[in-house]
Order: sequence, then structure tokens, then C-alpha cells
Amino acid sequence: MIFHSLDFLAFFVITLAAYWALPHRAQNVLLLVASYVFYGWVHAWWPVLLFVTTFVDYWAARKIADNSRPRDLETSRPQRKLWLWLSISANLGVLGFYKYFDFFVDNVAAAGASIGWNIPHVALRLALPAGISFYTFQSMSYTIDVYRGHAPARRSFIDIATFVSFFPHLVAGPIMRATNLLPQVEQPRRFDAAASRDATVLIVWGLFKKLVIADNVGVIANKVFALQQPEFYVLWAGVFAFAIQIYADFSAYTDIARGVAKWYGFDLIKNFARPYLASGPADFWRRWNISLSTWFRDYVYIPLGGSRRGPGRVAANLMITFLASGFWHGASWNYVLWGAYHGTLLVVTRWFSQAPSPKLEAATWRRLLQAAAMFALTCIGWLIFRETELSQLIADLQLSPADTTPLGRSTGLYLFLLVGAYSLPLWVHDLWAEFRGPDLVTAIERPEPTPSWPRVASQAALCGVLFAVILVLRSQTALNFIYFAF
Amino acid sequence: MNGQVLSLIVVLAGILLVPFGLRAVNGALPGAAVRDSYLPSVETPRPREPFDQQSAHAVRQAQPHYVVIGDSMAGIRIDPRQLSRLTNTAVVGLYQQGSPVAYWYLALKNLVVENDLKSIRGAVFFFRDDQLTTQVQVAPGSLDRVARDREPELDRMLAAEKLGNFSAVHRVARNAYQYDRTRVWLEPLINRWPAEIASPSDPADLLNAMNNEVFALAQLRKFDASDLAASTDDSLDFHANVEQSLLPEILRLAKAHGIRLAFIRVQRRPAADGPPQQSDALRKYADDLKAYLEANGAYYHDDWGDPEEPLSLYADGDHLTAAGRVRYTELFAQRHARFFQ
Repeated sequence: MIFHSLDFLAFFVITLAAYWALPHRAQNVLLLVASYVFYGWVHAWWPVLLFVTTFVDYWAARKIADNSRPRDLETSRPQRKLWLWLSISANLGVLGFYKYFDFFVDNVAAAGASIGWNIPHVALRLALPAGISFYTFQSMSYTIDVYRGHAPARRSFIDIATFVSFFPHLVAGPIMRATNLLPQVEQPRRFDAAASRDATVLIVWGLFKKLVIADNVGVIANKVFALQQPEFYVLWAGVFAFAIQIYADFSAYTDIARGVAKWYGFDLIKNFARPYLASGPADFWRRWNISLSTWFRDYVYIPLGGSRRGPGRVAANLMITFLASGFWHGASWNYVLWGAYHGTLLVVTRWFSQAPSPKLEAATWRRLLQAAAMFALTCIGWLIFRETELSQLIADLQLSPADTTPLGRSTGLYLFLLVGAYSLPLWVHDLWAEFRGPDLVTAIERPEPTPSWPRVASQAALCGVLFAVILVLRSQTALNFIYFAF
Repeated sequence: MNGQVLSLIVVLAGILLVPFGLRAVNGALPGAAVRDSYLPSVETPRPREPFDQQSAHAVRQAQPHYVVIGDSMAGIRIDPRQLSRLTNTAVVGLYQQGSPVAYWYLALKNLVVENDLKSIRGAVFFFRDDQLTTQVQVAPGSLDRVARDREPELDRMLAAEKLGNFSAVHRVARNAYQYDRTRVWLEPLINRWPAEIASPSDPADLLNAMNNEVFALAQLRKFDASDLAASTDDSLDFHANVEQSLLPEILRLAKAHGIRLAFIRVQRRPAADGPPQQSDALRKYADDLKAYLEANGAYYHDDWGDPEEPLSLYADGDHLTAAGRVRYTELFAQRHARFFQ
């Protein structure tokens, strides 16, 4: 089920009405059932996989807890480790089987063929269950947190299953931690009209970003990336379109997820903080897909040693983390290359920033210059991300602005302006929130205790205008949320 | 009532009420002449592109014996002039990149059947997998160039298809807010102003050149991303879908006017070591489709697994190279010679 469908609206209204009529424990059961219905809407077998992953992690966490009694903490360490690895292997096994098996087989066969070996090609071409990368990481982090003693193992399977499957963020994040979401599952919740009002603004803003911005510029990006030999300006206009598409699309999903969750009384974390205004690579990763970045930081980078073991080791740790993050996105070499590109950017800027870094309170013009430079670097990364064929990528990167025709230049400018027009509301919102603040649309954490009527009126007008624009300018070509594919 | 609840109601009311402003905007702006749609059950009155008389005239001038109809799958496979030479008949291609089945139906109806073609014998449709029965809905305006003032069969079919689930909600919203009408004048404005900056001397020329040169079929490569999505097994119940599709109407129309039909299922991009994989469901769907078409007197051919269509013939996605197109047309004329007799 997708958020921008009337199926979902009906599902949302019905479950919500029932939800607030029920006591707390029954609410969790309802959420669990609703989440499995939501997930199984298209493919009825997907929930089976979700259940298996959840059950393994629930069981492994229980076993880890059983072996964590203070009196035999040392002697039971191997058992705890065993259960942890069982959980990690099960999660990565499921993920690897569905997402990476064919990639592995294809590459082994190709490598074999290159040295004259005829290795049997047994690719399965299985459909990738939506959101599998998200929920396996979330579920796995629960067991790891229990193992590390950061979170207690829960007795209630219903609570754990609700935590893993909570439908607003099931398919494309944000990836929530057990330490954050599980207490919310366990605590009684109450309906908060002010929070729901702010959440509504967030949902409408998310729908606008998806249907008007992302899908319209996505059509442009698709057209450009379908060209055999795009000219320089056309290609980079297409890359610009894709940069806007992926940000608008993914942040839209997060906004809608956060808004919907808020109606049920849950707080999901912010996954984006104006990433295209980042002042550098490190800042970008503090703002882009925050839940995934912090996941890799806490479960990969820090366990590898983080920043503690000298510059060479830090560089290696960063590269490993970003290669893994790239590979997480998809079973294709371009994602690995994209991870390597961002890892390299971080390593290089880390070397250069041994001297004191520029102060955050730098002049606005200077911040804007930094942001523009980082946006250009980010766009190069998006070209790598979007271009799945290496030979084409190399050809793209060799294009020269000098070698263009007047039609190529005009087309590039046309597409650039068109993408700029569609994305203008996004830029205005982000620039305002970054430099003027406060963020009136996406900050939903602390609604004011009594309604401020001018603010309510502006929210009502904003939502109405956004909804009208959605009705009129939604793209006629419906594109899937990009991160559904990951 | 609690102030916060009231504030929530105000915001929800804003969502529902503000879009009524579109009606006022539509009324205040002169805009283009609004006409009743040729699909009145599913569209509000709106300005429309005129029927493409030029194309109709060109087809009439050519007086073809056969027409080839389809999207890029047909265009990238059949060179009509070459096929004319090889079959010793007059063949015209009615191709529209990315066109839906409804477009093909209207092309058959308005450019062939109702176009005073005296020597027409047959029409060949190229399609992918389950495209004939699953691609039903159309974007407003996408059929304007091949649609007459009234298209009752298509309207009835689309309306029936929309009766399910939430079609009533869509219809009420469309009539209440009139957003289709706003779209018709607003979208061209949005698309045109960048052209006026990028090419101040002749913005219309730039838009045409972009469509006909920069993004022309010959310039395209990978269709993996922009292509039609691969079929999913859920859409592959032929018997459940066929009656909601345009296929029966295409068959009826051709039969009523003595036009023979051929349907060619193209082979999706093969792998290096053989034909593309297809699920059991897709195989069954293709069998059902074949049986249905043949029972209705149409000619059916499935290119899947043809050893003469190896990967080397393909440029990208499901598209052939220029040399592949020549080879395919040759093969096509040989294999289906009976159809052209």
C-alpha cells in the first residue's frame, strides 16, 4: 500500500478510529495487525518474511538476556555471542539471499568467464520485498542493543513485532532504534489534537514533495538518463533533476511517515535536515538519511575503532563504512562506487580540516558558497548513484562543456530552469528554515500548549494551497518511491 | 470544544475548502476554449489539442494495405518502407512512443477504419507481455491527437473500469474543484516559460526540437528506468482482465470492417545465454491470450525465445539496434508472409 493512494487514506482513517477507541495493549495488537495488512497488501507472502525476521530477533534477544545474569556474566559470554551471531546471520542471510544472491552469482560467473571457466549460472531473479533493508537493520539493531546492554530484552512478542513492523516507516524508514521506539510502543499513548494538526501539515507537505516535485522532476531525470549520448548541459540538468527527485521523494516519505505516526501518538526521528545546505561532506552525512547514517556510525564505524586509532585507521574505517553503506543501497557496483566516492570525500576533507574548521556562525554568503560547492560534489555522487553502467558513467564524466551544440545548451538551460521551478518551494523552505527559522512545516515535536490562531490560519491556508497544487500539478506519471527499491 | 481540536478541524477544513479557489481562478482567467471531453464520464470539460488531421490525411494519401500500430516496441522493430518492399504491399507505421493501448485503439478506429482507406487489409499490433489487457487508464490529453469529438466506446470502457474502489471520490473531487481545467492552462505555462528564457527568439521551436531531436527515439538508450514496468504476476490473470480491457473492442471493430489483425508479443531483452526469464504466470497468460485471439480470428505470434533474436540485436532495454531493426523487419516479412497475402 502506498501513502498517496485512497486505499491508504481509507486504511488510515479506519485504523485510526478503531485505534483511539481501544485500550493500550489492544492498540498495539491493532497496530501489529494493521502493519501486516499494510505490508501484505501487494504481496501476501512478504509478511511471512517479516515475521520470521522478527521472531528470530525476539528469540535471540531473549536468549541473550537469559545468559546475562550478573553471577555468570563472564562464563555465559560465548552463549550470548552465539545468539547475537545467530540474529545477525539470520538478518543478513535473508537480506543477502533476496538482495545480493543474483549479484554474487552474476559476478562470479562473469569473473569465471573472463578466465575461461564456465561456471553454472543459477541466478534466481527473485522479487525484492519492499523495505527489507530497512526492517532487517532495525530488527537486528534490537538484538545488538540487548547484547551491548543498551536495551533490555522484551518479554512481549507483540511489542517487539509492533516495533519492527510499525507500518508508517516499515518500507522506507526512518530506521528507528529499539531504545527510542520500543518505549513508545510500551507506554500508553494519548490523542494530541495539536500534534495531529502539525502532523497534518507535515503529511500534506510530504505529499506535495512527492507528487508535485519528485515525480515531475523524476520524469525529466528519467528522460535524460534514457539518452544514449547526452550533451554536457543536458546530462547535468538531468543530474540536477535526479538530485531534487531523490531528496524530495525520500524526504517526502519520511515526512508522511512521521506525520502518520504522530496521529497514532508516536514520534519518529527526523531523517533529513536540509542536506543540500550542508557545508561539507561530514555535515552532509549529518543531514542526509540521518537514521541510516547514524546506524552505520554506531554499528559499523565505531565498532571498527571509529576515530580513535590514528589517521590511517580512521580513513580505513570511514571507507569500509561508506562502502558498506553504498552496498546497502543495492546490489550493483555503482552503489559501491558511490559509497567509495563519499568515503573518499570524507577522508580528504578530514585531512584538510586538521586545522580549525570554519565556524558555523560564518557569514551567510560564505555558508551559501560552501553549500553550493557541497551540492556540486553531491551531484557528482548522484550521477554515480543513478548511472548503473560503468562505461556510460565514464563517458558521462568525460563530457566537456566546450563540446556542445546550441540545441544542447538551450535544452540544458530549459531543463535546469524547469527543475528549478518545480523545486523552488523546497529551496525556499530549506533556506528559510536554515537561515531564518523556525521550521514551520517539519518541526512537529513540540506543539504549543494553546493554539496560536494566526499560526493555525496560516497552516490551514498552506495545507489548502498545497493540496490544490497537488490536484492540479501532480505528475501524470506515477513513480514509485525511490527507496522502495532498497 | 477544546481549542486544539478546533484548530485541527480548521486545518482539515482548509485542505478541503481552499482548493475551491481553483474554480474562481479558472473563471477569472480567459484561458483556452473549454470543450466537453470525448471521455465525459471520466474527464471534466477542458481545452483539448485538435484531432491530428494532417496524420489522418497522410495515411489516407498512402492508402496502405497494412498498418503497424504500437509504441517504441513497434517503431524500433519495423521499418514500414522496408516491409512494404519485402511484402510487396503498402505498409504505414502508426507509432507513438510510450503510447497506451487506448491510443492504439483510437489510431485503428480514427486513422484506419474511419479514414476512408479503400484497400486496407490488416493491422499489426506490437506489445509487451500483458500490456494489451492491463494498460487501461490514460492521462488527460494524451489521446487528443487521435480522438474525435466523441469516443463513446472508450468512454464507456474507462468509466466501467473506474467504477471500482474510489472512482466516485475522484469524480466528485474533479467536478467540485475543477482541477483538470486548471491543469490544462497552467501546465503549458509552466512548461513554456523556461523555453522563453532558453530560446527567446523561438520558444516553440526549442520545444519541438527537444521532442524531435534531443529526445527522439533514435537518441534513447537504456529504457530500464523509464520503461514500462516489468509485469508482475498479480496482473497476469488474463481472463480476469480481458473484459475490462480494450482488446474485445479492437477485435470487434476490426471484424466489423473486415480488417485482419495480427498481434506480436515482442521478446523482452534476452540474457547473454538465452531468452529472458518468464514466470509460470506470464507463460500461462501468454497461452491464454493466444487462445483468445485465435478464437477471435486474429493472428498471434510470440517472439519469446526466438533464436534469431539474440542479445546482439538489442541496443538497450527492449529496443533493437538500427541493424537489428533491419534484420527484424526482414525476419518479420519472411515469417509472417502468409499474413500479408
